[in-house]
Amino acid sequence: MRPCRGNEKRPAESVGPAEPGAVTGVCSPGPLEWFSHMIENCYEYAVAAKAQGRPVVGIMCEYAPRELLLAAGAVPVCLCGGHAQTIPAAETDLPANLCPLIKSTYGYHVLRQNPFLEMADLIVAETTCDGKKKMLELLARSRPTCVLELPHKSDDAAAFAHWLSELRRFQALIEERFRVRLTPKKLRTAIALMNRERALRRRLAAFLQADAPPLTGRQLLDLKSSISGIPADLEQYQAAIDLLQTSPPLPDAARRVRVLMTGVPLVHGAERVLEIIEDHGGLVVCLETCTGLKPILEDVDPHAPDPLHAIAEKYFRLPCSVRTPNRRRLDSLRNLAQAYRPQCVIDLTWQACLTYAVESFQVREFCREVLLLPCLALETDYSPSDSARLALQVQALFETVRGQADAPPAGSSSKGHA
Amino acid sequence: MIAAGIDAGSRTLKIVLLQTETLRVQAAGRVDQGIAQNALAADLLTRLLEENHVSRAEIGPVVATGYGRNLISIAADRLTEITCQAVGVRRVAPQARTIIDVGGQDSKCLRLNAAGAVADFALNDRCAAGTGRFLEMAAQRLNLDLQSFGGHASASTAPAAINSMCAVFAETEMVSLLAEGILPADLAAGIERAIALRIAALAGVGAAGPVVFTGGVALVPGMSQALAAALGQPVLVAPDPQMTCALGAALLAVRQCRPLPH
Repeated sequence: MRPCRGNEKRPAESVGPAEPGAVTGVCSPGPLEWFSHMIENCYEYAVAAKAQGRPVVGIMCEYAPRELLLAAGAVPVCLCGGHAQTIPAAETDLPANLCPLIKSTYGYHVLRQNPFLEMADLIVAETTCDGKKKMLELLARSRPTCVLELPHKSDDAAAFAHWLSELRRFQALIEERFRVRLTPKKLRTAIALMNRERALRRRLAAFLQADAPPLTGRQLLDLKSSISGIPADLEQYQAAIDLLQTSPPLPDAARRVRVLMTGVPLVHGAERVLEIIEDHGGLVVCLETCTGLKPILEDVDPHAPDPLHAIAEKYFRLPCSVRTPNRRRLDSLRNLAQAYRPQCVIDLTWQACLTYAVESFQVREFCREVLLLPCLALETDYSPSDSARLALQVQALFETVRGQADAPPAGSSSKGHA
Repeated sequence: MIAAGIDAGSRTLKIVLLQTETLRVQAAGRVDQGIAQNALAADLLTRLLEENHVSRAEIGPVVATGYGRNLISIAADRLTEITCQAVGVRRVAPQARTIIDVGGQDSKCLRLNAAGAVADFALNDRCAAGTGRFLEMAAQRLNLDLQSFGGHASASTAPAAINSMCAVFAETEMVSLLAEGILPADLAAGIERAIALRIAALAGVGAAGPVVFTGGVALVPGMSQALAAALGQPVLVAPDPQMTCALGAALLAVRQCRPLPH
């Protein structure tokens, strides 16, 4: 298992030599090796881009319309924190009872330890969850920020119109701040780039549809980048596809329980729960989260007459738990369950993430009544203190899936004991 | 041949020895937990064998469960408390549809389907409220052991309202209530009710009956009544409720040699 690495200040120094046993099933070096240095790659790319005068823009959420930033020549970089060690610093300003992702992100800000945040010319955030929204107000006291208001009603024309107007306002802001003109041509180029990146990542994820896939869910989780649209990343996605097409299947695939994970994002450094699942006999074949398939399932229509409208449409459809009602998440779960054939569902909530915690009820009900799959709801944060408890629940789920308690009925000869 | 189930729980370690042919319980025993899980299990096993004149050579398959299961070296297999509890309870109360197990460090609710298999389960979140530890803390504060704490609780006619769901804050709340002159019996009953409400929330509204109560906390006087009141339905305390999980482990050990009879 590969140790968690985060957005340390000097990423190049923080990482030891690649662990020889870290990648099984597929041979390295190659694309997997490339993505195992994802943070360093992004760091080098951002530093070089900045030196060329390109702005770096921090994003906080998958609703951030990366196409607009790419069209402006900016570098969109994800700032979500995945490490527990920055949380105590965050708790000097923020309440302890807040989601660890928000606290970790803010802790990097307090400690000035995220190099991407430190080089950001702008931070864009959406009014998704309230915790993030209010945290951003504190961030905005010392950093340039821009808030996009995401209306929460999911299928509502007025809500969409407002979202579209927010993106138009954002476009104007970018144009002014970065002194560029976002022509339809530039937008279409950015749309094509993002569509291509999403398509490549979808193809990578689809390898886990196989009965005996060539990679684990943990390995797939590493095939991503904090910065979108890096040409070298796209080449490596393609190289990974080529490699996986000829890679042998995981030797123990048949013995593993296929898991669909849904819920909160597993940002870089916060992969612990997925690792617990795969260390205890599971194979996470599908990750319906913002760090998995959720944001890449749908593309922006490249032929739409108004590219900005098409961008707004794509992002507006993202089924985050802040939306109401969030029927599209359940529809997506149904489609993914058909394609990836999980034997159970694990719904993960970060402690104090209200919307995912409440929506868990609907997810469990949907799994039980529609998907006919056992569903385990897990709630945790970034500290490893409950790993044994999580493992217990995961193991019990797998025993349930394997029917290990399904004995013949205890029967008439039931004898008491002692 | 004898099959053994070892339940290395957080507060006590239990062993059930089962005759693989008749499924008769040959011996059962428990010992308070310590640090050296494996030595405790070995000592208890030796004691049970000696007391019951069973030769060590007769011991066949061994299944370990409980949070310390991975430390039990003689176990050929390890299964979670959830699976073992379901199998053990099905043996002693085949009609059970819901199992509520409250042990030293956690509480669990298992929903069983009509065939007695686990349909789903839930554990308390990471917090001592709703566990045996919470009761121990409260009893300690009142200078009582768990049995007499339960006795006091059963005698109360006006349980105090304990609102804190955190074991640490509940202790603070108890201190204030004692200072206000609330009787220890009413406090004890209030604590039992607070735990029962917490556990009932885990089971959910309309938990399918019959509800079977297991774990060490089921032995504390007044707890099953408090749980029944919180659930709004009768609660059946499993016979020897601390041992059902070890029994399930032993039954699952038997299954390693042959399928269980119908």
